[in-house]
Amino acid sequence: MLTEGAPARGIEVAGVRRAFGDVLAVDDISLTARPGEVTALIGPNGSGKTTLLLMLASLLVPDRGTISIDGHDPATAPSEVRARIGWMPDGFGTWDALTVREVLETIAAAYRIPAPQARARVDELLHTVHLADLADRRARVLSRGQKQRLGLARALVNDPSVLLLDEPASGLDPRSRIELRDILRSLAAQGRTVLVSSHILTELQEVADRAVIVARGRSIETQELDGESVGTALAGWRIDTLDPERLVEFLTHHHVPAQHVHGGMLEVEVAGEENAARLLTDLIGAGVRVTAFTPTRGALESAYLAATEDRQ
Amino acid sequence: MSWHGVTTVARLELRQRARASKWVVVLGIWFAVVALVSVLSYLALNDPDARSGAAMYDVVIFFVLGLGMLIVPSLTATSINGDREHGVLATLQTTLLTSADIVLGKLLAAWAISGAFLVTALPFLAWAWVEGGVSVGRIILSVLVLMLVLAVVCALGLMFSSLTARPVGSAVLTYLALGALVFGTVIGFGLSAFLVNDRETVRVFGVPDDFYNQNQPTYDANGNPVPGTERVATRADCVEHDQVRDVTHTERIWWMLPLNPFVVVADAAPSEPPRNVDTGAGFTPMRWISEGSRVARVGETGGVRQECWVEGPADAPLDPTEAAAKGAAVWPFGLAFLLLAGGGATAIANRRLRTPIRRLPNGTRIA
Repeated sequence: MLTEGAPARGIEVAGVRRAFGDVLAVDDISLTARPGEVTALIGPNGSGKTTLLLMLASLLVPDRGTISIDGHDPATAPSEVRARIGWMPDGFGTWDALTVREVLETIAAAYRIPAPQARARVDELLHTVHLADLADRRARVLSRGQKQRLGLARALVNDPSVLLLDEPASGLDPRSRIELRDILRSLAAQGRTVLVSSHILTELQEVADRAVIVARGRSIETQELDGESVGTALAGWRIDTLDPERLVEFLTHHHVPAQHVHGGMLEVEVAGEENAARLLTDLIGAGVRVTAFTPTRGALESAYLAATEDRQ
Repeated sequence: MSWHGVTTVARLELRQRARASKWVVVLGIWFAVVALVSVLSYLALNDPDARSGAAMYDVVIFFVLGLGMLIVPSLTATSINGDREHGVLATLQTTLLTSADIVLGKLLAAWAISGAFLVTALPFLAWAWVEGGVSVGRIILSVLVLMLVLAVVCALGLMFSSLTARPVGSAVLTYLALGALVFGTVIGFGLSAFLVNDRETVRVFGVPDDFYNQNQPTYDANGNPVPGTERVATRADCVEHDQVRDVTHTERIWWMLPLNPFVVVADAAPSEPPRNVDTGAGFTPMRWISEGSRVARVGETGGVRQECWVEGPADAPLDPTEAAAKGAAVWPFGLAFLLLAGGGATAIANRRLRTPIRRLPNGTRIA
């Protein structure tokens, strides 16, 4: 159920810290995830993403800092939070001996959804994640990607207003990934808050509205992923040409730093799409026969690499 | 906690168990083994002088308890940490189910399965009843106590599975705990008996030692006893007197015995003693255990010992220890202890499942 008009909807995390004995898993993470948006949580392995999600999912109490999920603190009001969240853990298992439908019906019963409503809800979800034809198979026989989709359906059983998805795309085939992207977008469009952690940056770039980069248990920066910010970020572009000498000459003349990469292509760093387009126009104007002009990596990737450069 | 939540978890557990393993086969084997034991004990103990129902009843009840204590830990001892390892516990914890729902649901499911084993053995208890020597009331009482003991075993397994990270560790700990209850209590009782040994003066009603010195037969020159000089002790010669004897104060250590589940089950409903003492009752381990532990509980009463073992006109009064032992049931203490232990174990498991977690013990994982 979406809580209409409730105060402070979405996820607010401020200065959260959590240690396991001597190991500091989360040092100082702050982030905001707004309803109606997909917020990406990205960072290297062991940067504290999963620990943060455990705290958001009301399983772990932070040592310090505050968390608010739709205005409720998971540490003090776990059942309020649990009624509102859908959590899809990373590397979860499932009850092997149960069928796909039974798994979802069990979860519905655990949310105290009456059986007739639960049945309708489960049918709807099976359709959403394209598992309807496997509904009466044992969960054991599902492939990794199918299990991932079952996990997503499980997180949606209680119609949550806040979704916490830990690596939802891992193990998915390309088609399922595109479908996942569409599901996430439509969930956000319904006014839900979607927080998704992932490593697959190109995927996130297309689905997320903003990205929170974490490293070593700290939130480094929040990157807006709307058109404007992407348009101004520094990015690498690869140029292939039939006239390599003239290209090098042109770049040297205009003081554009460039480096050779494999396949005889040149790579240049340009700030923003505007400048990249101008460079291409100028190259053509100078008579360089350009056959390829492509971005090497997205803005998110650049930001991520910059933020995690000092990693050992 | 809610009944709906508990049954949701119990249904999930039962479904998982019923499909994951071949319970029909296991129950079939169980039935066959109990049947074999019953038939063999019937053939072995079928004494035409005594009613053999008592012996069969003892054997079947003890066999069900012993085998149950071997099987039941496998139902719960890997339940919580196994779920953690499979990553399915946290998915329940983030729903509206409380930790009590999860713990009691798992307990209920395991108890129901152990109940199924007990029900499978019921036909043989009925057979024992038909053979005679045990009443229906006693059978019902011992089945009830048996169910409670098995519930405690379930709870102990559940606690250990919430305390250790690995299923193997909790299974070993559960069997060790049961071993301590079954063998440890008996060994402890036996070994500590010398601690309560004493040389004490006790009052005895009987023929004093000097009676025989004074009434030695006199012999004539040929070494033949002179008739009439030897007097055989009669009841009139019994007097109260002091004797120094080795005394074991088992009343100080008897409490170890009822901690043993076998003693609890045996003492709750032993078969009745045979009406005719001379024919004996055959093989009745439950009654022996029951009588032994009751006598141990009464221990040294300090009363006058009735040892006037001579032929006499009047029947000797009952020995005070034996008389007191009749009413000195030990099983309520044992059952109370076991139920407390089971309740405590359930509470600990519940504590360990409570989320959100503040302090995470070493080596445990959440999801």
